[in-house]
Amino acid sequence: MQEQEVKILIVDDDEISRVGCERILEMSDYHVDLAENGVEGLEKIKSEGYDLVVTDLMMPKMGGMEFLQEIRKIDEKIIPIVITGYATIENAVDAVKMGAYDYLAKPFTPDEFRAKIERALEKRLLLLETEKLREERDKNILEHSIEKTRTFTIINCMSEGVIATNKSGHILLINPAAVKMFRIKHVNVIGKKVTGLTSNPDLENKISDALTRVTSKEVLERFEMTTPEGRVLQSNITPVINEKKECIGTVAVLIDITEDKKIEKVKTDFLNLVSHELKAPLGAIEGYLNLILDGITADQPEKEKNYIQKSKDRAHELLELVNDLLDLTRAEKKISSKLISPVDLSGVIKETFDFYKNEAKAKSIQFNIECPEKLPMIRGNAEELSRLFANLVSNAIKYTPEKGQVSLKAEKNNNQVYVYVKDTGIGMSREDAAKVFDEFYRAKNAVSQKISGTGLGLAIAKKIAEEHNGYIELESEPDKGSVFTVVLPVVDKSPAENNELLKRGIDGHKTNI
Amino acid sequence: MSEKVKILLADDDPDFIEINKTILETKGYEVDEAYTSSEALNKIRATRYDLLILDLMMEEKDAGFTVAYAVREDENLKDLPILMLTSAQEKTGFTFKFSKDKEWMKVDDFAAKPLKPAELVERVEKLLK
Repeated sequence: MQEQEVKILIVDDDEISRVGCERILEMSDYHVDLAENGVEGLEKIKSEGYDLVVTDLMMPKMGGMEFLQEIRKIDEKIIPIVITGYATIENAVDAVKMGAYDYLAKPFTPDEFRAKIERALEKRLLLLETEKLREERDKNILEHSIEKTRTFTIINCMSEGVIATNKSGHILLINPAAVKMFRIKHVNVIGKKVTGLTSNPDLENKISDALTRVTSKEVLERFEMTTPEGRVLQSNITPVINEKKECIGTVAVLIDITEDKKIEKVKTDFLNLVSHELKAPLGAIEGYLNLILDGITADQPEKEKNYIQKSKDRAHELLELVNDLLDLTRAEKKISSKLISPVDLSGVIKETFDFYKNEAKAKSIQFNIECPEKLPMIRGNAEELSRLFANLVSNAIKYTPEKGQVSLKAEKNNNQVYVYVKDTGIGMSREDAAKVFDEFYRAKNAVSQKISGTGLGLAIAKKIAEEHNGYIELESEPDKGSVFTVVLPVVDKSPAENNELLKRGIDGHKTNI
Repeated sequence: MSEKVKILLADDDPDFIEINKTILETKGYEVDEAYTSSEALNKIRATRYDLLILDLMMEEKDAGFTVAYAVREDENLKDLPILMLTSAQEKTGFTFKFSKDKEWMKVDDFAAKPLKPAELVERVEKLLK
C-alpha cells in the first residue's frame, strides 16, 4: 500500500458533493476517480479496481443499497464508505448491513472525511495482508506436500530398511526394504508394535531402550540381530527428539549384512588356517634349535648338522608358503586391475617345459611336450598364466615316482585352448580330488606324506584360470596318475578389436570372449 | 626298573617326532613313532606303552581327540597317560583351554608345540609317576 498508489472511487449524483470530495482526497495524494451513478461506478470498479469506494445512498438508476451489494460481488475486499444526506440511524444501520464499512453524514468537514478514509484504508491494508498471508500459507502447504512425497519416495527407494515408531513404540512407517527383510505384509504392521515383525525380541527391546534412555540425538543403539530366516541385520536406532527435548519416537535403520558376515567368516577361517600352517615350520625350527642350544646333541656332530639342515628346509618351506600366500592374494585381485595383454600361450607353455626339464631329468622322469607352433592369443596376464602351468607341472613331477612319465600338451578346439598336464604319479581318490583345489588341502597317504608342499599351488592355479574366464578339470586314479586340463577362452578378434577389448578390460568390464 | 619306560609319539610332522624322540631317548626312554591316528591306535593296542604323546591336528583337525577318546573307552587302555601337544591354540582360532576343557578332552596334560627339552622331560616325568 505504501508503494502502491491508493485508488478511491467516489460515486455521487451531486456534482458539487462529488468534486468536493475529490478535492479533499487529492490533497492527500490519493488517486481519485469519479462516477455519477451506481451503474457507471460498477463499470469502473470492474475495469480499474479500487481500494475504497465512497458512495451516496440516494442516487438515480441504482440505489445505494443495491450498489453496495454489487460491489461485494465484484470484490469483497473493497472498503465501501457511505455518505448520506439524511443522517438517520436507520439508513446507516441498513448500509452497514449491506456491507458498508462506515458512514458519514452530510455535512462533514474535510478532516472528518479524511479521518474516515484513513481508518478505512487501515482496514483495507489489514485485509490485503491477511489475504497475502493466506496465499503464502496455501503455497507452503502445497510445497510441504510435495516435499513429503519426495521424502517418502526417497525412504521407499532406500536399500536400507527404515522403521519409524511413535513414543509408545507403535510403527508409523516401514519402507519396502524393511518389509522384505522381515518377510511381512506391509498393511498388517502399521500401528502395531515391532514385535509383530520378528520373533527376535532384540528390536523391540532396543527401541524401548531408545525411548526411555534418551540423552542426545546421537545414534543410541547399534546392534546386530538375526532374523528367524537367518539374515543378519545391523540396526541403528535413533530417538526422535522434539524442540522441548522430549522423545517423540524412534527411527530404526536396518542394513542386511548377511553376505558381509559370510565373507568375514571365510576370511577368519582362512587366517586361522594360515596361522596354523605358518606355526608348524616355525615350531619345528624352534624345536631343532632348542636341541642344539641345550646341547642335547652336542656329542653327535653329524646329527646336529642334520638338524641344522632340517631347520633350513623348514625355513625354506616357510618362505615358499609366504610367497604362495602373496601369489594367492594377487590371483584373487580382479583381472581388470592387472596388466592385461594378448598372451602367446605356446610361448608360455614352452618356457614352462624348458624350466622343468632338468628337474624331471634328475628324477629320471620322461618329460614330453606337444604344443602347436602357434596357438591363438589369450587375453590375460602372462606372468600369472606362466605360474598356472608351472604349478601344475611341478606338482606332476613332485607326485610322480622315479622313471615315471609327465607330459604337457596343448591344442585349440572351438574357440578354446586346452592344456593337459598328465602324469603317471600316485594319483588320488575321488574324495581327495574333490578337495584338492581347496587352500591347504593336501591328500594324506603314505607317499604324499613325505612330499613337501604348501598346499596352495592348486588353489592358486584354479584362481588364475577362473580370472581368465577359464577353468581346470581333474581326472585321477590312485596309483595310476592324474590329468589336469586347463581350458581357456580364445580371443578370436582382429588386433584392433583386441585392443578395444583390452581397453574395456582395463576399465573394469569383464567381457565374454 | 628292569624294563625301559616306553613312550609312543604320534604326530604327522616328522620333524616334531624327530625332535621329541631325541630329547626323550637322551633321557633313557624307549620311543616309538606313529604318523597318523590309526597308526597310533594300532600300536597302542599291540604294544603296552607307559605314555602317549599325541598331536591334535593330524589327518583331521581333531584327530588327536579321536585317539584320546578311543583310548579312554578301551578297558585295557583307559589308564594310559596322554600328553597332548599341539600348535592349535586360542590365538589361532581354537578356543578351548585345558583348564576349562580337561573333562571332555580326555587327556592328562596339554601343551603348545614346541616344548623346550627341559619342560618336555618335566611333564613326561610328572605323568609317569
